[in-house]
Amino acid sequence: MGLNFILTIISYILIGIGAFCQVVAGIGMNRFPNFFVRLHAATICAVGGSFVPIIGCSILALTLEEFGPSRFFLAGAGFVTAIFILLLAPVGSHLLAKAAYFSKAAVLHPKAADLLEEDIKKGEVRESTV
Amino acid sequence: MYFIPFYLVAVIMYVVRALKGPTIPDRVLAIDCLGYVLATFLVIFSVYLKSPLIIACAIVLALWIYALDVYMSKYLEKRELGE
Repeated sequence: MGLNFILTIISYILIGIGAFCQVVAGIGMNRFPNFFVRLHAATICAVGGSFVPIIGCSILALTLEEFGPSRFFLAGAGFVTAIFILLLAPVGSHLLAKAAYFSKAAVLHPKAADLLEEDIKKGEVRESTV
Repeated sequence: MYFIPFYLVAVIMYVVRALKGPTIPDRVLAIDCLGYVLATFLVIFSVYLKSPLIIACAIVLALWIYALDVYMSKYLEKRELGE
């Protein structure tokens, strides 16, 4: 019952949360009606399903005593990958959503309200400044 | 290691969406998710197989997914891939 045991348990719990989030994001990716709602599933996949288990794997790599000093390399590279994914995935999703909205590549079929379109029609917001 | 089948089920669902996707951004989004699952797999297997060579691919893969997003959004807006 040392520190290693607790860290191992925490890392397995994090990897399990990642598996759960991946399955939820996969179901959402197939069941959601249009592209702009599927972005939500993609962000669950990126942050919940990829950031969390990579952090878990880094903590798990830190506990492997028999692995020698290269376990620090493994853990550090894992942390760097996780932080890259946490920073770059929402930026990429936002870019893709903006491009799909303004190029009208994605159909907005079950539409409740589109406030941006109304604002552009009224002239309060121009397309180049959004 | 007991969590790998859940990830594989998610991979199957993303592949279904990537093949079926009605528009281009849907396919790009599904391929992004496939890339994130692959990066997670690389990290998990590098810890499981105790091989630090594999994890260097995961960083590059995360950056490539971002590059795919940027280039696809630029292509969708301007219909070209830059200068």
